[in-house]
Amino acid sequence: MLPQADLPFRILGATAYFDFLGPQDEPWVAALLVEMQRFEGQRRRQLAERLAEPLPFEAPYHKRRAASRVLMRLWKPERLVGLRPVVVRQALFAAAASSSMTTQQTMLAVANELGISLTTLEQSMFGDLPGERIVRAPSPPPLAGEVVLRTNLAIAQAALMRAAVVDVRIVGATRPIVRLAKLRGLLCVVKEATTQAEPLLEISGPYSLFRHTLLYGRALAELLPHLSWCSRFLLTAQCELRGRLCQITLDNNAPIFPALPSATFDSKLEERFAKEMAALALDWDLVREPEPVKADGTLIFPDFLLRHRIFTDRRVFIELIGFWTPDYLAKKFSRLRASGISNLILCLDEDRICADADLPPGLPVIRYRRRIDAAAVLRQVESMSGNA
Amino acid sequence: MTNTPCPKLAPPSTFRTVSLRPYQQAALHAWRLAGRRGLVALPTGSGKTRVALAAMAATAAPSLCLVPTRALLGQWMKAIAEVYDGPVGCLGDGERQVHPITVATFASAYRYMPLIGDRFGLLVVDEAHHFGNTRHDDALDMAIAPLRLGLSATPPAAGPAATKLALLVGPTVFELHVGDLTGNVLAPLDRVTLRLWLQADEQKELDNLTAIYRHAFHLFTLTHPKARWEDFVHLAGHTDEGRRGVAAWRRTRRLLAYPRCKQRALAGLLAQTRERRTLVFVADNETAYRVAREHLIMPLTCDIGRAERDDVLARFASGQLRALVSAAVLNEGLDVPDADVGIVIAGRLGEREHTQRVGRLLRPGVGKRAVVYEMVVQRSSEVRQAEKRWSRFAATSRPAV
Repeated sequence: MLPQADLPFRILGATAYFDFLGPQDEPWVAALLVEMQRFEGQRRRQLAERLAEPLPFEAPYHKRRAASRVLMRLWKPERLVGLRPVVVRQALFAAAASSSMTTQQTMLAVANELGISLTTLEQSMFGDLPGERIVRAPSPPPLAGEVVLRTNLAIAQAALMRAAVVDVRIVGATRPIVRLAKLRGLLCVVKEATTQAEPLLEISGPYSLFRHTLLYGRALAELLPHLSWCSRFLLTAQCELRGRLCQITLDNNAPIFPALPSATFDSKLEERFAKEMAALALDWDLVREPEPVKADGTLIFPDFLLRHRIFTDRRVFIELIGFWTPDYLAKKFSRLRASGISNLILCLDEDRICADADLPPGLPVIRYRRRIDAAAVLRQVESMSGNA
Repeated sequence: MTNTPCPKLAPPSTFRTVSLRPYQQAALHAWRLAGRRGLVALPTGSGKTRVALAAMAATAAPSLCLVPTRALLGQWMKAIAEVYDGPVGCLGDGERQVHPITVATFASAYRYMPLIGDRFGLLVVDEAHHFGNTRHDDALDMAIAPLRLGLSATPPAAGPAATKLALLVGPTVFELHVGDLTGNVLAPLDRVTLRLWLQADEQKELDNLTAIYRHAFHLFTLTHPKARWEDFVHLAGHTDEGRRGVAAWRRTRRLLAYPRCKQRALAGLLAQTRERRTLVFVADNETAYRVAREHLIMPLTCDIGRAERDDVLARFASGQLRALVSAAVLNEGLDVPDADVGIVIAGRLGEREHTQRVGRLLRPGVGKRAVVYEMVVQRSSEVRQAEKRWSRFAATSRPAV
């Protein structure tokens, strides 16, 4: 993600305005692409040094820095083949210390010993170290227009990574966005649509959490390009920029690079759980993505509904939670109870707890690490159904 | 009733007696007399950690030790385990346990201090000179510990950073220089300065580049009369002239980092010191890899992973590797086993870096006599830098060439 110092924006009052790249920037972006092409097959460090030096064209400072960083990410390091560099270094430097041969003779002897050519040995020696890796241009190379949109996306994402609160109003394609927010594990509440307003997603920003801020910030930023699926959206966020809290606004006219269409499956975790639960709960039907549940003015989108085939009133919703805090869960359950909903089980990823406080006792939760225990969930479902 | 905050952790027990050398005892005594708050400045290799262990044992207060790097985290845990039988907590490097004796990296302490700041009575700050003007200062502010012990080989000179550090940790209560301990506690040290001349084409290039960045800086000072060099580097990127100036300055540094005269001198020195354990210090990673390629010396840089670094240091200790080349990793803290030759090709961070680098060679050994070869390019900024950075060693150094 881009550092704050490279973000082109202005702050007026309590609002920050992005200075996005546009068609007027395409000529110098195209020149920058040509300059980068010259470093095809060179070390990453050399490319970075070149970009820090004056370029043969005029370009706005912050925009150029942002575009350069985005392009550096697109210029991927060459894939390593053959022996691991660590092994090569270990053999080579030990051999050099214990013999009195010249550098060239030692390298040749080690290359023979390892069964690789001298050229491969030279390439492998430091081939895994970040600055020493050989960079390759993407194929086909991006067009200036694409780089402009990608840079704008990176700018907006960098600001979102510094958000405390994010609100998104969505028209159309609400479900995939909510699903994605849940899949990314974001702390998110969906408020019900009324006649005046569109459904509202309230998402906690990384700056409202105590830890995992970088991971969480990335997860939040990844949501942004997917908003282009919606026919209309309005995102407002309170972000910490230049040491103060500013509001930023993005809508469907923002010139940002869109995401690719969503994948068929949300995650391997969900797929595996569905498969195991279907095999275990033979008397139950597992419904994926059931209708949202209204709860105290908000909407909850459970991942699964487990419905008994005979006693159809036995229904338990299952929701998988990514990042969480005990406070977030306590509020969620109190809202559900206030709405008279008690048939919901939450599955919590233990690695994604975002606070140190303990979870209030008595909540129907199943904790997991990497794999959800379908049998444990089924026991909980049966116990809740039995009590019902 | 009192409003004085108290540490919430139980005091540690099962500390064994920590034996101290006379000057270490003196340091501890000075710290005690200063109200158990203050900075102890001792040279690298003189046993600052032992002073801290003795302080922890003597105060019997729940103690939090702050260290700058993950490498030092492991070293401190090991040192504590040698004199303390209880569990040792660890914050950093993927660990997150808090016990009456806990070691934390600066970054983790900054992150977790709101949660743990009320649990400790003694704060030990290793390499305390890092505090005083960084965001990590907040970590010390957030701790309630009334007892504080700072450790450093290079305490900051008088100025805003030193004043802030005195507020956070306490004033310098005990200080010994390398010269006070060499030959007795530390290994004796010889300094050899190699005064080298650039070849004509390199000198011309250096002069041209210097003219460009001086001109750019001069133009900058016309609009920013009170600007320092750091301000220029910070703001230069906004103009083409400024970028050209900074680029020229970077190229002078690259040129001086490893010109042909230094290449030849290094080849000669390595051949001469082949049987001795040698540390080669360079200005940047790029030069470290270049030296490594040319002379097949293992580089130890920030890019090398922890497992490989530990393995390299172990092989250096056992004699399987005879030389290491590094830019900054060996500068501070890391326990480098028994090296006795240092070759300083170039540096970037001035006097403090130099003190730390030379300190790597001063760990005592039977019959050991350390030697530092320093390369200085004549008619360049390196001459003045070299004079400055040896000021701390004036008492013990003796120029040979």
